[in-house]
Amino acid sequence: MEKVLEVSNLTRVFKEKNKQDFTAVSHVDFCLYEGECLGIIGESGSGKSTTVNMITRLIEPTDGTIILEGEDITHKKGKQLRNIYKKMQMVFQSPVESFDPRRTLGDGIAESLKNNGYSKKEASKAVERVLEKCGLDGSFALKYPHEVSGGQCQRAAIARALAITPSLLICDEATSALDVTIQKEIIELLRSLRENHDRKLSILFICHDLALVQDFCDRVIVMHDGVIVEQGKPDEIIKNPQNDYTKRLIDSVL
Amino acid sequence: MSTPTIRKQKVKRTSVKTRLIIFGTLAALLLIGSIFSSHLTPYDPYLQDLSNAKAAPSMEHLLGTDRYGRDMLSRVIIGSRTSIYSTLLLVAIITAFGTAVGVICGWFGKWIDVILMRISDMFLAFPGLVFALAVAGVLGGGLQNAIIALAAISWPKYARIARSQTLAQKETVYLRAAKLSGSSTVKIIFKHILPNIIGPILVTSMLDIGTMMMELAGLSFLGLGAKPPTAEWGSMMSDTRSLITIVPWVTLAPGIAIFISVMIFNLLGDTIRDYADPKNREVRG
Repeated sequence: MEKVLEVSNLTRVFKEKNKQDFTAVSHVDFCLYEGECLGIIGESGSGKSTTVNMITRLIEPTDGTIILEGEDITHKKGKQLRNIYKKMQMVFQSPVESFDPRRTLGDGIAESLKNNGYSKKEASKAVERVLEKCGLDGSFALKYPHEVSGGQCQRAAIARALAITPSLLICDEATSALDVTIQKEIIELLRSLRENHDRKLSILFICHDLALVQDFCDRVIVMHDGVIVEQGKPDEIIKNPQNDYTKRLIDSVL
Repeated sequence: MSTPTIRKQKVKRTSVKTRLIIFGTLAALLLIGSIFSSHLTPYDPYLQDLSNAKAAPSMEHLLGTDRYGRDMLSRVIIGSRTSIYSTLLLVAIITAFGTAVGVICGWFGKWIDVILMRISDMFLAFPGLVFALAVAGVLGGGLQNAIIALAAISWPKYARIARSQTLAQKETVYLRAAKLSGSSTVKIIFKHILPNIIGPILVTSMLDIGTMMMELAGLSFLGLGAKPPTAEWGSMMSDTRSLITIVPWVTLAPGIAIFISVMIFNLLGDTIRDYADPKNREVRG
């Protein structure tokens, strides 16, 4: 299978004056295969979000390389960096805050399309299509983020991420801010999108809910204090954890 | 068990849109009036008639006449041009310049921020009138130089507001989403940051219109702004302040004109702020 994403030796050190350096992520290596869903679990502060923010280049890595579809994107800047976002998109934890409060959901979804040469007409058609794919009516394009529920907004956020048909979708705690029933709906949506996406969709799924990861992911990485402590199939890890931290994590849930 | 009664809160409030229309129209009337002010005056505002000096308001002269016998109503009308236009120009300059500097500082940070903010601190440290005097000393008096002087000391306020607002916007999730949508810095600034920070800036500038009107009038009083005989509300008030006990209308007339225009612009500013916030727009439902 082809590798979509390969991360090696990824490290981020936060330096602050008069304070000790803080290593948020240390020497993280993993790769994500085409069509696969890889979960990253760990408690708050374990470095999951820093890791994905480095992958999307919202945070500069201190060290390491990120290879997306065979292309080194670690040091891309300006227009080249903007181009990689055609291949990689992200869904954020807080759906309502991830949309500009002064623009409609449709504007937000169409933004990436317009940046990639779609005309207004083409973009609005594509927005309608992708909204329907995500289980929303086309009329949602005209609504403002504060006018829809959290679940609907998260669907719109997924629609935004998928509008330019990326090959890699990163979900940073995409379900954590939603209640349980909506969580399930969103997971079902992601599952159906994986099957019906125009391209093979690989998902990097950041989560702190073990059950959800077990249910949804093909493979899972356990992070603790910025280091990968364990990785493998979710069932195996839950049944037979090797690492002390993983054991504690599982014990605290079950 | 009694069933709980739910009382709907009934707050009678004029809708934002209505207020916007009302105050927008008033402000527009004021502007249009000042454009055509030379056609609206019943008398020549500069024509002196010493035999009719300090006349009380009458049917002939609705607001009376000043110490040279000039018709006050005509002078107030013609004065609107100088007063309103120089103030609006001044506020537009400081708003645009201050906002641009603030957004650049907030967005790019690092050394650009340090340098520009220290420069703005320098301007903040000057006492306004002393600086205006210095500018007038170098460039000479006149309304144009008064505007330059006031602009130089007033823009840092806008730079500070814009900078702090930009810094706050930079941390938002939707800005990260916009970056991920492949939007360039220019697009992000114009499409996301400016629309989101312009509310407080516009309100500040609308509220500043009144202050700036007064400051320009103050400079005119010192002979650094509008030169007599040019009719300007501020200088008209200062000119006649010694007469206020004898013929109060000559001071009151431009005073009331300033009061009314400041009120209109303040209320318009408030309304624009409310309107700019989509949560206040009545689209929900």
